[in-house]
Amino acid sequence: MRCLAPSLLRSFRGLVPQYVSAGPGRNPVLSLKQLPLRHSCSASPGLMTAPDVISYWQKVFEENGIPEARESSEYIVSFVLGAKTFQSLDSGKVHTPLTAAQQEQIQQLSCKRLERMPVQYVLGEWDFQDLTLKMRPPVFIPRPETEDLISLVVEEESRKCEGKKNSAFSVPPPVILEIGCGSGAIALSLLCKIPQSRVLAVDKEDAAVDLTKENVHRLQLQDRIHVLHHNVSYGSAQQLLPWGPMDFIVSNPPYVFHEDMASLDAEILRYEDLDALDGGDDGMRVIKTILTLAPSLLKDSGSVFLEVDPRHPDMVEDWLCAHPDLLLTLRAIHKDFCGKPRFLHIQKQSR
Amino acid sequence: MNAPSLWGSALLLREGRAAAWRPWAWGALQLALSRGPVVQAAGKSSSLRLVQLSEAELREQFVRGDGPGGQATNKTSNCVVLKHVPSGIVVKCHQTRSVEKNRKIAREILQEKVDLFYKGEESDVFKEKKASEKKKQEKKRRAKENLERKKHFKEMLQSEEIK
Repeated sequence: MRCLAPSLLRSFRGLVPQYVSAGPGRNPVLSLKQLPLRHSCSASPGLMTAPDVISYWQKVFEENGIPEARESSEYIVSFVLGAKTFQSLDSGKVHTPLTAAQQEQIQQLSCKRLERMPVQYVLGEWDFQDLTLKMRPPVFIPRPETEDLISLVVEEESRKCEGKKNSAFSVPPPVILEIGCGSGAIALSLLCKIPQSRVLAVDKEDAAVDLTKENVHRLQLQDRIHVLHHNVSYGSAQQLLPWGPMDFIVSNPPYVFHEDMASLDAEILRYEDLDALDGGDDGMRVIKTILTLAPSLLKDSGSVFLEVDPRHPDMVEDWLCAHPDLLLTLRAIHKDFCGKPRFLHIQKQSR
Repeated sequence: MNAPSLWGSALLLREGRAAAWRPWAWGALQLALSRGPVVQAAGKSSSLRLVQLSEAELREQFVRGDGPGGQATNKTSNCVVLKHVPSGIVVKCHQTRSVEKNRKIAREILQEKVDLFYKGEESDVFKEKKASEKKKQEKKRRAKENLERKKHFKEMLQSEEIK
């Protein structure tokens, strides 16, 4: 697990503007309406509604160079009021003055955001498709693109089922291996969307294994998933075979090009496990490991689904051509919702 | 439904973010959302007979920024803006913290609005709304009646006591 070295972190902190202490003259707009940050909990609690508080914190975030000032403020206030987003907030609650306790909680959460903590860690939870999952630094936060990865696997599984419907054999429930499970987003979504599937989820970090297990228990899915502390780069396929052979290997492996790591946002660099992101010089290190491992773990015609950087599809195709012994074919490249090539479907040729 | 002004107001919704808005791009055709080119919205609208929308007529926009996306970005703005090109109707959805769910809900809402736009009072959406309004009024009327009855009864009792 890697986080920024203390020396690097210190220089980062030096770059972050200090909190706004809106005294008189510092920021006339703020001081007119609100009390300084440290006194906000003693402001008359009866006067501020959700929109007031959202606007207040949005301004504070903007003053302090916090990205997504409006969104961050909305998520925090909505969370304290029991809603996921501002748009989904009960219309009654929108106009009800906030209690002092609620304002206090909002302030505590906003202080964390002022330290560039990602909103998902501030709230300690985030949603992935239909699931609400616990989030905790430094375990990697699921990205919205990855939601589409689930749909691809589900589609392929139903296509396989359709194909086998008329055969004499009953279709056994699929066995799925997820490499690098993080918070468990992919594994748990697949379990929910593919009834009776079984998942083996592995991660090289204890923190990720623990968090995935917590999310498994929150969703009461422990009878269908096994979470294992395992490093695919240094372990061997043998250790995973008892759970196989697998129908699917699914992964959102670290795929950022090493040279791009330094330009990532502070939210990522300061709080997320950099090993979950850094894919080495060409971003392919873990991708190659997974593809090398796949043939010994997959059933014939089994599939690998990977999320990758938009530059990777061609690189992976070339690499597979250079390693014909793996008997893997690039079946399809799928785009994400922003139109970028993002997902690879690779299949093990049947002998 | 006024197409041009709706579209205009959607652009102004986030002041100062015009630069972050990307030109209209094709939304990735979601196999999970639609089998074939027709959008079949799930949820309550599936019980109503609504105008079918095809993905080809839709333009989707996400505030995801111009960066590489994926792992390299951790943005939380997963609001979806969906436009039905033929009618010009635009829907903005930020009901959930999941982009995929917002896309689904945006399509459901858009389908209802487009149906209303083309069918007016003949639309099942319109009829259902009217029916539920009627029900509400009926409930109110009955509640008022009950209240009056109770009041009258109380007055009767009081006048008997005086006797």
